[in-house]
Amino acid sequence: MKGRHIIFRILRYKESVIDPPQFQDFELTVTVTMTVLECLERIRREQDPSLMYRKSCHHASCGTCACIINGTERLACVTTVLALDTPVVTMEPLRGFRCIGDLAVDMTDFYRHISPDWSYLTPVAPDEGSGALRFEDCIECGTCLSACPAMERECPFMGPAALALIHREIKKSPDGKESLLSLAGGPRGEKWCERALHCSRVCPSGVYPARHIALLRKMLGK
Amino acid sequence: MEHVIIIGGGGTGAALAHDLSLRGFEVSLFEKGGLISGTTGRHHGLLHSGARYAVHDPEAARECARENAILRTIAPGVIEQNGGLFVAIDDADLSYAREFIDHCRRCDVPVREIDPRLALSMEPALTPGIRCALEVSDATVDAWRLPLQFFATARAEGAVIRQFSEVTGILRTGDCVTGVMVHDHRRQINYDVTGDMVVNAAGAWAGLVSGLAGIPLPIQPAPGAMVSLKGRLTNRVINRLHSPGEGDIIVPQRNLTILGTSIWHSDDPDSYDVPPEDVERLIDACAVMVPAVGDAALHAAWSAVRPLLGTGDAADLWQASRDFECYDHAVTDHLEGMVSVIGGKATTMRSMAEETADLICRKTGRDIPCRTATETLLSYRLFYRSES
Repeated sequence: MKGRHIIFRILRYKESVIDPPQFQDFELTVTVTMTVLECLERIRREQDPSLMYRKSCHHASCGTCACIINGTERLACVTTVLALDTPVVTMEPLRGFRCIGDLAVDMTDFYRHISPDWSYLTPVAPDEGSGALRFEDCIECGTCLSACPAMERECPFMGPAALALIHREIKKSPDGKESLLSLAGGPRGEKWCERALHCSRVCPSGVYPARHIALLRKMLGK
Repeated sequence: MEHVIIIGGGGTGAALAHDLSLRGFEVSLFEKGGLISGTTGRHHGLLHSGARYAVHDPEAARECARENAILRTIAPGVIEQNGGLFVAIDDADLSYAREFIDHCRRCDVPVREIDPRLALSMEPALTPGIRCALEVSDATVDAWRLPLQFFATARAEGAVIRQFSEVTGILRTGDCVTGVMVHDHRRQINYDVTGDMVVNAAGAWAGLVSGLAGIPLPIQPAPGAMVSLKGRLTNRVINRLHSPGEGDIIVPQRNLTILGTSIWHSDDPDSYDVPPEDVERLIDACAVMVPAVGDAALHAAWSAVRPLLGTGDAADLWQASRDFECYDHAVTDHLEGMVSVIGGKATTMRSMAEETADLICRKTGRDIPCRTATETLLSYRLFYRSES
């Protein structure tokens, strides 16, 4: 199959080896269906086995392969290279997370304000109404935190993902509403949100965190 | 207690790190890439009821049925407990039904025949022409978060989990394995780790790992393509009621629909090809069961490499066993201190770990029962609370 010649300009980082980070170019012939993740796999296999990135499901369900592609937070597994329509594709790790090597980041900071007790997939009886809406859309990929301008400042903001999850958790477990709302309205909560809406723009799962933040504000009487 | 080194950070390694830690062993696990970056994370997310294998692979069927029930209780937060249907479309499917039901019952796989009209009311997207419908206890599991729950629990129990750490050699003294050589891709350094036992849990890559020790393994990497469509077309898992083949599984996964799968021979576990013709065939075959499949927007197409038991001479890969095997290389290759666990399915990751840990107990003279069938796993989110 005919392909197009593409340069992948990847920000490399290896603790005390490539430190500070620097860009390195890799060249590949890319066909029309190839995703950015498939290209990373080929580069790792054929050109540099030390290239580090996270990945698992290959279909935007796990959220591990999020990174910054041509300046925007995206999932590498569902980003088609030629659809980007640029001869050079730049790749950087998500902002605001500790980089553990190249494009791989440590997600500890993502979960810092997300309780392990907040439900993920909630078991329900098979015949309990429409199945389509009751499962979590948020795949916890970190793109919204990386894109959030408030996260760049030295502020204690819990971030858009945690607030979206708080709003969903209130809907799923109304009993916990009061304490969840006090978190949302608390010192790490919605007051830091600058309404830039970048979180909703980059979310690959259609969670629209900014909308959840707006609904939380309404609940808080703001 | 003995120090056990696990090679491979997929589902099997995750469940084994948990099992061995719970039994009190000192555990270190090494994964060459990120965690769950091989076959487990890429599977279609079907928590098998066992029915698919009842006719031709009864051991795998029994194992799936048992594990399905166990995982629902120990990991409820990462499983959509949605159930599944097998549907007959044509005369051949219909004539297969009796044999299928009999074998399910013999394998203790729960199955219930329901009126096709009821099935249609339960799943309106099914083709109106279905001839027979059987209800089974399939479910959709989050293929990334289930193994991560095992990792989170193992880590809380003291296991050391090292990702981006590739085992590049097996240390041995004479005929005894004493540890592994590791390359750390983060810092570009090499180091040795000594242990009392090394377990090869590298899945489709297990042949490459055993090759480091100079021993062969009967493993057959068998890739298959999968397709995901935008939108959740059904609530339950939908299976074609026939002998397992291509494009006969539809797994709704949150707001996506996953179509499985094809199969081909490969000597290369790193195969990443997604044949476009496979994608088309999967869509066409699944649209026979759920016509809306043909109209839905394509979301992604990818492949995953099954770690099948065998040496690649199986005439029909669909009929090749999905069972697993633990090899004590002291017995098979006169190499003490190394065990390989290969084959199996994502659904059976816990029982693969149990059997392997039982073997390690026997080899180390320990009599410690397995507790993983009843211990509820920690939230996957806690994995990051203890990042080391």
